[in-house]
Parts: sequence; structure tokens; C-alpha cells
Amino acid sequence: MYQRTAAIVGVGQSDLGEIPGSTSIALMTDAAVAAVTDAGLAAPDIDGVIVRGPDDEYCFQQLLGERLGVNAAFSTSLDNGGASQALGVILASLAIEAGLATTVLCGYGRNAWSRTRRAGSRRARMNQATTRRVREFRDPFGYFGEPATHALGAQRHMAMYGTTKEQLGHIALAFREHAGRNPAAQMRAPLTMQDYLNGRPVADPFGVYDCSLRTDGAGAIVVTDIARARDLRHTPVVVRGFGSSNNLRGWIADDHMVHTAARASGERAYRIADVAPADIDTAQLYDCFTYMVLAQVEDYGFCDKGDGGGFVASGALALDGALPTNTAGGQLSEGHVEGMLQIVEAVRQLRHEHPAERQVPDARLALVSGHGGNTVCHSTLILERAA
Amino acid sequence: MSADAASPPTTAAQQPARQLPPPTPESQPFWDACARHELHLQCCDACGRFWFPPSNRCQHCWSDRFSWQPVSGRGEIYSFTVFRRAYSPELADQLPYVVAVVELEEGPRMVTNIVGREPEAVRVGMSVEVTFTDIAEGAALHAFQPRNDPQAPASQAE
Repeated sequence: MYQRTAAIVGVGQSDLGEIPGSTSIALMTDAAVAAVTDAGLAAPDIDGVIVRGPDDEYCFQQLLGERLGVNAAFSTSLDNGGASQALGVILASLAIEAGLATTVLCGYGRNAWSRTRRAGSRRARMNQATTRRVREFRDPFGYFGEPATHALGAQRHMAMYGTTKEQLGHIALAFREHAGRNPAAQMRAPLTMQDYLNGRPVADPFGVYDCSLRTDGAGAIVVTDIARARDLRHTPVVVRGFGSSNNLRGWIADDHMVHTAARASGERAYRIADVAPADIDTAQLYDCFTYMVLAQVEDYGFCDKGDGGGFVASGALALDGALPTNTAGGQLSEGHVEGMLQIVEAVRQLRHEHPAERQVPDARLALVSGHGGNTVCHSTLILERAA
Repeated sequence: MSADAASPPTTAAQQPARQLPPPTPESQPFWDACARHELHLQCCDACGRFWFPPSNRCQHCWSDRFSWQPVSGRGEIYSFTVFRRAYSPELADQLPYVVAVVELEEGPRMVTNIVGREPEAVRVGMSVEVTFTDIAEGAALHAFQPRNDPQAPASQAE
């Protein structure tokens, strides 16, 4: 069993948003430098690198090591989609506890906006999209991408439990409100329920405000052992527990689109951390689409399965709610950096370094999730402010 | 095709035709059957169960001995979504259209389109039966339509 000896000691991010001409590796390098500097460390201190870049850039960890001047005892790139970033912290913690590495840099960077807007037109974006893998049994039916995948889950949840479009809207509104307090966020303008309901349709029941942003951006963190962590400049954030679960049979198989992999991942994380849902002070949940937040608050046991609509509509996700969630704005409003900024924000909350208007008072325990990999891979972190 | 944003909107006459991705050796028998307006899936010689999408071994018992067999074509809608914008130009004249996951009586689930009913009337759990949409010479896609009498045997599709 994991002995809870790993801690996060540095966090950083690149500029976020629409950054014409940006490259994934440059964004990643900026975030990595920010995180290592935040920890008060330098290149010779880093002996592990676990990162993820765009799927079409081979061996991203090598590109980063070259730019940072780092050789690593332990390094890899990850391939679990949006579950990779939390998984990277799990692997870093295990590597540190096993003695494979002492101080590991984890990160994600992608020029997601720039790579689809090179010619500045809608048509160019569609042509660019042809680089994606053709899915023989999806594409001919006009099934376009991840919005359709998650919309299928939302529609079934609605049919089973009476969940409404307005309830999904409360998720988008809560995160936009948080982004309004975050100067770095990509989308900060206030969003009303009427704006949300009038958003252009994407794939029923989703409109544009149910979908996460297209962001040029990167995030990074530094993980080391708790003894080293206590000698560094910030209050350590201990990796208290973690879990993962991967419904590899697929999103449309079994009951995966309603009872997601978050459930088993969360159960493992709670067991290893020896905490319960009621102990969690803030959640930073993977919000590629509003529906995934709804499914996860149920799957993580913050409410019963089927009650997520009422839970989110009650104001629970607000900074002063029962479960302050995605307190920097999430991928729906801060920026889509594939779950990496969820980890960064959890650490900032647990360090108590935000101004009062953004801080969850006395936050001690945070739950962070990652979700992706054809919609079925899931990873969970439970992070704790060191005593 | 021009990527110029000033190009006029696509009209039906200019709309590119829908097409199938090139079949693989594993999927060729499936698409050949669809072209004949028949729904065939792999059935395991060892355990008798069906699976989809195509694979070189039975998903249930891992046997590599199987044959392509016709299925009932009956099932129900597991979930669905509606597209109201064309994210690909060849779908422009289909709008709005329904993409669904249908669970067949034989067990496998498949992504498909629901036709023959306006999107607003489509429901999770609706009983459906297979039909086929010809998209090109020798190429057809399986689609499903609501069954008028869910208790009766399937009408001879096609």
C-alpha cells in the first residue's frame, strides 16, 4: 500500500487562450519553468519527467528534457487522454516511493486553438480535423467527436432520472462565475441562464456553453518526497491517495455512460487516502462537458446516482457552496488544458494562496479528477495540505 | 476545394457525397452485407454469441472461429443525440439528423442513425428495426426506424 510520502511542491502554467503561432512544446516549456521556479528548484534537481503533449508529437518528454537541459532517471509520455494528467501524478508518487526518482516534473501542453485555426477560417478548421483518426463505425453516421459521445450520456441520464437542460446550465454558470474572479481565465464575461439556453446547438442536449474551450496552454507541477518537500519554500501538498479505473470495453458498453469510471476510481482513492466524500473541501473535476461534472458528483458520492441535477442546481458548486468545484473556472471557462490546471488549482487552494474572493476557507483536502482516453479512462487524486 | 472563407455557402448541388471509409479486411463482410441491405454480424462458432464492431476473435470467449450471420434487425434505442448543424459538408442536407446507439436483440450495441421519425419524437427505449440508406453505388449504411407494432415480428427489412 502507498505510504503517502509524495508531495507537490511547485505549480506553474503558461499563458492561456488564443495565442497565434504558439507551439505545444514552447507552452509546455513555459509551464515547466514556472513550476520548477515556484518550487525553488532548478534543472539539476529534476530526475523524472512525465508529460503529455498532442497525440501527433512523438516522445514529448524528450522534447521537453532537451529544452530544459534535464536527463531523467524516469520519464515517459502518457496516452490516457484527459485521465493522463492525474495518472502522471500517481506514477510520479509511486516512482518516488519506490526510489526510481526523487523529484518528478509532470505536465501537459497543447496549442489546441492554434493548431485548428492556422488559416483563420471555419473550412480550414474542418480540413485540419481530417488528421484525426477516422472511425469507421462512427464518422459515416455524422457522429462528430466528443460532444456526441458525452451527449449520449447526458441524454440517457435525462431519460433515466429526469435531469434537465437547466440543471446542466447551473454547472456552466458556476464555473463562469469562478472564471470571472480569475484574471488568467480565457472566458470571464458573465453568463446568464438565458445566454446558456440560447447558446448555439452542438449536439442535443448540448449547446456551445456545455462544451469546454479550445485553448493554447500548458500546466506543470513538481512532485518530490515529503522530507525534501518540508525544506522547500511552500507548504507541501501531500498526495494522500489516488485511484484509477478504465472502462476499456467502451463508453457505449455496459452502463458506462451513466455510471462512469469515476465511481471505481473514486472508491479506490478514498480507500487509499482513508477519507470519505464528506471530508473533501474542494473538488477540481474534469469538465470537458457539463454532463461529466454531473456524472462525477454522483459517481464520487457527493450525492446519490440520479440526484446530480438537483445537487448542482442547489448552488453546491459555488465558492461558498457545499462542494466548491473548479474554483478557477474549469475547462468550460478558464481554459482546456486537459485536466492539468485542475491539479494546479487544487494545490493553490490547499496552499491558501488565493485572495479571499477566490479562496475556499481553510481548505485541507481536495479531490482532483481526470477523464478521457476515448471517454473511459479515469484517474483520481486526493491531495492534502501538510500539517 | 477552396478554403477561402468568402466562398458561397455549400448548396445541395455542390454538396459532396457521403462515403464510407475504406473497409478493412475485418469489416469488409459487414459492409458487403449492408450493400445488399442485410445486417450481418460475427457469430462465435464456439459459444454462439454475437459481437460488434468486427474483431478477429470472439469478445466473449476469445475463440478465433466465427461466421458472419444475419441478425434480427430489431432492437431499442439506448441513447441518442441530434445534430442541427453540419460539421461536415456531406451531411448538410440531412439536418437535423439523429445519431443513436441501438442495442440489438442479440446483444451488441451499434452507432447508427434513426430515420422515419422527426427528432423531437425520438425517445430512449424506443423499439426500432433496421433499414438501409444507400449512399453510393454499392455502399449503404444501416439505419433504424421506429417499429409500429413492437410486439410483432420485424417486417422484412428492405
